[in-house]
Amino acid sequence: MEIAETLKEKGVDVAIPIFEETVEWAGAINSVLLDNPRLLGQSMLLRDKSLMKRRAQLGGIRVGIFEEAHERDDVIRFLKRVNQTLLKLDGDPNDPIHVKAFDKAGCLGHRVIRTPDEIDTIPDEEFPVLMESHLDGWEFAVEAWVHNGRICFLNISEYVTLGYSVFVPATPELEKYRPEITRQVEKLIKTFDIEFGFIHPEYFVTSDGEMYFGEVAYRPPGFKVFELLERTYGFNAYHALVLAFDPKTTDAEIDAFFPKEVVDATGHAGCFGVYPRRRVVSQLSVPPETEDHDYFDSHELTAPMAEKVTKRTAFGNHWGLLYFFGEDPYTLRDLLKRQEELDFYI
Amino acid sequence: MSPDSGAATTLDRRVATLDHAARSLSAASDFGKQVKLPRVLEALRRVLQLPGGCAAVGARAAGLEAAGLFLGTDWARPHILIPSLSTGSLRSANADTVVLEAVSDLRLLAVAKGDLEHPMISAEQANDHLSQVLAVNLSLLFTAPTEAERVQQGRMAEVSRALLNYLVTEIGYEKVLENLVDEIWRILRQRPIQVDSVKRMITQIAVARANPDVDLGASGLGADRLISSLYGTTEGCREDPGVEIYRTRVESMDDSALQYEATGFARSMHDTGLVSPYHAVLLRFLLGKGEYLLGEAMGLSSTGRDSLLCYHELVRSLIEQAVHVETAQCIYGLTLMLERGILYQPPVAPALWRQLALRLSPHSQQRLTQVFGPAPNARAWLLSGVLSVLGLPLGIGQGDNPTCQSARALSMWAYNDPDYLLQTVVWAARDDEIVMHFEGRPISSRESDAGVSTALQHDLDPVSLLVVPHLDRIYAEMGRQCVGRDGDPHRWINPEFHGWWSGRGFRINVDVATGQLTDLEDFQRHFYASYHPFYNGNQPVIHPQPAGIAITDSAARFVGWHAITVLRVNLDPESKMRVYFYNPNNDSGQDWGDGVVVGTAGHGERFGEASLPFEQFASRLYIFHFDPLEPGESAAVDRTELDRVFGYIRRSWGADRLPAEPVADEQVQTDGH
Repeated sequence: MEIAETLKEKGVDVAIPIFEETVEWAGAINSVLLDNPRLLGQSMLLRDKSLMKRRAQLGGIRVGIFEEAHERDDVIRFLKRVNQTLLKLDGDPNDPIHVKAFDKAGCLGHRVIRTPDEIDTIPDEEFPVLMESHLDGWEFAVEAWVHNGRICFLNISEYVTLGYSVFVPATPELEKYRPEITRQVEKLIKTFDIEFGFIHPEYFVTSDGEMYFGEVAYRPPGFKVFELLERTYGFNAYHALVLAFDPKTTDAEIDAFFPKEVVDATGHAGCFGVYPRRRVVSQLSVPPETEDHDYFDSHELTAPMAEKVTKRTAFGNHWGLLYFFGEDPYTLRDLLKRQEELDFYI
Repeated sequence: MSPDSGAATTLDRRVATLDHAARSLSAASDFGKQVKLPRVLEALRRVLQLPGGCAAVGARAAGLEAAGLFLGTDWARPHILIPSLSTGSLRSANADTVVLEAVSDLRLLAVAKGDLEHPMISAEQANDHLSQVLAVNLSLLFTAPTEAERVQQGRMAEVSRALLNYLVTEIGYEKVLENLVDEIWRILRQRPIQVDSVKRMITQIAVARANPDVDLGASGLGADRLISSLYGTTEGCREDPGVEIYRTRVESMDDSALQYEATGFARSMHDTGLVSPYHAVLLRFLLGKGEYLLGEAMGLSSTGRDSLLCYHELVRSLIEQAVHVETAQCIYGLTLMLERGILYQPPVAPALWRQLALRLSPHSQQRLTQVFGPAPNARAWLLSGVLSVLGLPLGIGQGDNPTCQSARALSMWAYNDPDYLLQTVVWAARDDEIVMHFEGRPISSRESDAGVSTALQHDLDPVSLLVVPHLDRIYAEMGRQCVGRDGDPHRWINPEFHGWWSGRGFRINVDVATGQLTDLEDFQRHFYASYHPFYNGNQPVIHPQPAGIAITDSAARFVGWHAITVLRVNLDPESKMRVYFYNPNNDSGQDWGDGVVVGTAGHGERFGEASLPFEQFASRLYIFHFDPLEPGESAAVDRTELDRVFGYIRRSWGADRLPAEPVADEQVQTDGH
């Protein structure tokens, strides 16, 4: 409250969340600045994975089955129930379920559970968690800038391997779904009462072409997608964030700022999150194969601080990103896939 | 299509990436540049790795600089860059450092060629800088990367080489060698004891000369002198025949031929300060030929010759044991020791006899062998080191800065109290222990904890190698015994550590607790009154005095505290009052910024001395010792002169240390006296 009032005195119009943890703050501050108490509630909605899914469901958006768990027994029950509905018999391997901490950013606290034993590995402090059924399919993310309830720019980020690599704009196969995706995102905007700002939803397309809503975040995506967008479209995505969030921006200003999706892209930009493949590493060594590739742009890897590699706890905590840029999306996709087999730390 | 069109397109692509990255760096605001910088550096690195990359980067250098590539680094101010530091950056394991240095050099090349106007540096200065960079990195041009370099730098080792090759084709070898030769002469004029790096540089010039592709131009002559001083000094070894062949030649020479050889070596040695290995062969041979030729071979004056004749048995034994092909450099030390006449001090000759018969402890033996190799034996190495130190007290240099106190002590003893030095060498080499007394209590180097220097150093002369670790521990222990006392511990340490002649009076102008300057005016007046002959009754410095200097870099920014010795205060040939001092660094010629450039020759310096005009020296001083019974006339010091000193302080290390109230306040008070 004090922050909000101070900011108001200083003539601030709107607060823009940059990190997951600041979404609620921004919502609370905006409730005061824009005199709209509902904004706090909206930001809470966008932070709580369980509330978020429920709201999406209410809006008629397809989501998988999900439930909240407050203790380990809840997880066991859910795992059994899910596999029961899938008509599994005793002895069949279980279909996995996903367990995510309620309000952690990105992939932190995210784990895949197949057997009841694995449930014991969840630390107490991660409860309560959201449990979801696992969906086989093609996962992708969408970045959408919204102003006055209208989508001003919609980007589809294609994951090559979830948690490892992503590139923009997507391949023509995925771009084929653009009209359908746009409809889904519009539905989301309506369901979540989003007037202005930026959303970053994730979807699944299952093998039969059906789109499922995964989750949505009201803040810039991880994995430096903003940098990739700047690389390929030439506009500063943070700048865009400011424009879209500012209720005083005119439609004309918006239209002048954003390029046309896909056609205005100068190429495809992708990045790969490096994670050491060895248990013990002593130095950084970018493979010549990567470095000499025409598409290679730069990397932000640093020499290892410790020799022992800690176990990977979430998809987010890679050691650094490699950036690529090139004309052909398929070459880029294969290139990104290939990086998974290379050692960057030896 | 031409066969290399593939390479050209790769270059084009990478250059396009570079341009894109540079544009986004340029568009970023100052606080955002750090985020955009890695991409630019990466793109630069990839362009530099390709053939033609240097030219492409050179053409973009101005744009890159304008985009803010150098922002916040020393490279942003090219006029303060020091060529010798490029050795470190071009061999750095950090690829970004190599890239920045490379881009900076390519930018300077554009300036030097007149393609680019730079507000801070002229074409001439740029050209000068580059040729010096090339000169000090000459080895990168002639040698493939060593295994160590490859491991450390990976492919960047090739980038540094490609850069230098590109620079040298643009600038030409002629200018480079000229600079290198100048640099070698500049170092040699300081007469260092350790000349290995100089020898390496000369060897590289010799290699360059043997290469028919290299046009040496006018620099050939100066280079010749250096090369011949090592490899072909006299008629008998003109074509560098190898020591064995030379020995057989010497054996067949008659007296007049030997005389000719002897004077040839002597002239060269006194001229350059370098000793040829052939010289050692001749000197050993002359042991059987009588004192006259020995004296000739060392180029002795009447004083030196007198010493030789008085102590001929001792000198012969010294040559017998210390002078070998590997240790030839000690001939110069031996010669200067004879010239100094210190053998006439009663304890010195017996102490040298003791040194000749000294049995080294296993530890000392091992350390010497480890650093200098097995041939000749460890004792010969130590003895040759002792001779060098006694002959060239100001030639001692430390490999690393933390031990400046110990290096200074060794130099001071060799200069002022050779007997004591010989004693400490024996203690260290034979007993592995030195005991010094501090305020009546003995301090043993063996029982003391670690010293100031954390790692054992190796790039030292034999005497320092054995003695410095002990001194360093004792010095640190004295410091520990002063913990809790008010003010700076050097007040008590210096006189006890260095010797009775260090003045017991002590002044410091830095408040130890806060680092702020205090008593600026009083301090300076007192220094003038103690040391400046116009204000101290025309009293020259009698004993070398320890002093503390605030070292600044070429941009006049504070670097650290440093121990030096004040040796003399005299009028120089231009009738300017100068302070002549010893700096335990390996190279005394330093640019301390704001026009303060330490001279090593040309201002009346003796070999090994550094010098500054009195007021410039005073401006970097923060600790000095004085004799409390000789007050001088501090009130007589000229106001304008003091103001100039304060100006130097304010523009350099004193900038953020001056007390809240300006000096002008004190001025009013003192003017009232």
